[in-house]
Amino acid sequence: MSMIVSSIGQGLLWAVLGVALFLTFRILNFPDMTVEGSFPLGASTAVTMITHGINPFAATLAAFFVGTIAGLITGLLYTKGKIPILLAGILVMTASLSINLRIMGSANISLLDQKSIFSIKILQHLPKYFDSVFLGFVIIVIITAGLIFFLQTELGQAFIATGDNPNMAQSIGIQTDRMTIMGLMLSNGLIALGGAVIAQNNGYADINMGIGIIVIALASIIIGEVVFGELTLNERLIAVIIGSILYRLVLLVVLRLGFSTNDVNLISAIVLAVAMILPQLRHALKLDKVIKKGVTTHE
Amino acid sequence: MNKRLLSTIAIIIAFLAVAFVITSKPTQQSRTKTYVPTVGILQLVTHPALDEIHRGVVAGLKSQGYSGNKIKIDYQNAQADQSNLKTMSQKFTNENADLAVGIATPAALSLAKTADGSSPVILAGITDPAGSGLVKSTKRPGNNVTGTSGDSPLQQHLGVIKRVAPQAKKLGIIYTTSDHGGEYNAKNMEKIAKKAGYDVKLYTISTTNDMQQVAETMANAVDVVYAPQDNGVASAMKTLINITNKEKIPVIPAVNTMVKDGGIATISVSQYNIGYQAGVMAGRVLKGKDTANYPVKTITDGDMTVNLKQAKLLGIKLPTSMVTEAENKGEVFK
Repeated sequence: MSMIVSSIGQGLLWAVLGVALFLTFRILNFPDMTVEGSFPLGASTAVTMITHGINPFAATLAAFFVGTIAGLITGLLYTKGKIPILLAGILVMTASLSINLRIMGSANISLLDQKSIFSIKILQHLPKYFDSVFLGFVIIVIITAGLIFFLQTELGQAFIATGDNPNMAQSIGIQTDRMTIMGLMLSNGLIALGGAVIAQNNGYADINMGIGIIVIALASIIIGEVVFGELTLNERLIAVIIGSILYRLVLLVVLRLGFSTNDVNLISAIVLAVAMILPQLRHALKLDKVIKKGVTTHE
Repeated sequence: MNKRLLSTIAIIIAFLAVAFVITSKPTQQSRTKTYVPTVGILQLVTHPALDEIHRGVVAGLKSQGYSGNKIKIDYQNAQADQSNLKTMSQKFTNENADLAVGIATPAALSLAKTADGSSPVILAGITDPAGSGLVKSTKRPGNNVTGTSGDSPLQQHLGVIKRVAPQAKKLGIIYTTSDHGGEYNAKNMEKIAKKAGYDVKLYTISTTNDMQQVAETMANAVDVVYAPQDNGVASAMKTLINITNKEKIPVIPAVNTMVKDGGIATISVSQYNIGYQAGVMAGRVLKGKDTANYPVKTITDGDMTVNLKQAKLLGIKLPTSMVTEAENKGEVFK
């Protein structure tokens, strides 16, 4: 039972990444590889600042701003430098490896015996694992509410229009380059914030912790879409959060079923692939029905 | 709002509410007479050296009487995915594991964080336990963490360098920036080699792909190369040796597997022994020994390994004492 609680807690914490990636992957319609760099960037910034005695909440917020810089660089490379987005992201991701080493001074910094955002008093009185459930919930609610509000402002609408149809957006006077850069900054800032939170939950920051992050974030987006189908934009953001929780639960089941841990990566890739194929499959099946209907009416 | 979405949220909240009430009550663990302790072993990634440590841990536990049906061992391997480490550490806590063994630094850190002082964590082959914050000091760990440290016998390695290349003045040390253990050993070796009068230069790679270029630069600037215990350098050893052979420069590595791959000679600590000693310590802790005052055991005694084929190729005559030492106790590659 507490294993499920723990999975829900982890799902809520990791949901930050899903929601952040949603901004670029679903609204702007491109895969942003920068996240594999901005995630450890946020973690190393926050952990290094905490070990230097800075307030954990301030350090977590600082991680957000450092993340926006990574997004800004990718955005500039893409819009002004005309580098394809996939490559621009990979360039920034690669560069941030060196930056992270500069920040941390070594490959791994631990937070044992250090204060973190998880050491605030209220959390200490909760039962096992409810600290991450509680804090994860608060963080994701603040972020999602903020995003829902933002997307309804004039700026947010311009941002959505940029992703929907850049040519149309330009024709009505939206500066699409600026919108793209802003989206990348916001998304990577949130990813870095997620990195800072997860590093504090794990108790350390490691130079390699960004590997595979994009798959985890994609999984929450896609599982949310497959399970809940057609939704409004606001509901889709919430579905991402639930998707992140469901993904953790699937991993838990896989571990519980006694699968060799060596196969976990393969299985999570299969889960993701199946979730992505499912809509096509449904589509194909519906088509079959339509054809049948057509045949019967003719008779 | 979408009904399915709402009902899923409702289910999750309902579950959490129930779980909250249930887990708030303190649970009583009843220990039966034939109590079988559970030990969780968490390994970072499949890797020959780490697998050896794992084998050693199991054997060490066995030597303390914990084998077969007297113990339940839950072995987890995170396959280098750091988000798995957390899930697996929590699995141990949930099984009420009496003790957890961490192989490689991130695994140990994750265990220590999850156990949060409540159940003992034994380190197996962690290079710098005090530096990585796992213990307060190696002599008095001061908390729930202790174990074995696989410190490289650097002084002895420097001795090997002197015996293999007595005329060498310029020493190059190469390590991977992302490997905490490699960096730690490289920096320490720099210190003691400088004291011994060497002109030391450090070279770093960030991935094995950098090895070719970095090694070429290094080979033109130094007389002898030291390769510390470092996963990145160990993987790219063949590339390194190809280049140093062209310049006829000997490489003294830190572990015997790297001698097999083209290093000249070394004195290396057996990874199996590191694991074995950790297993023995785990056994004693299970029997009630307190971790806080149980010093971290640093294992540095090792055996000589030489590669005669490589020595011949470079035209180096190894001292006979070294070769006989390797023949008697260690390993000789011909």
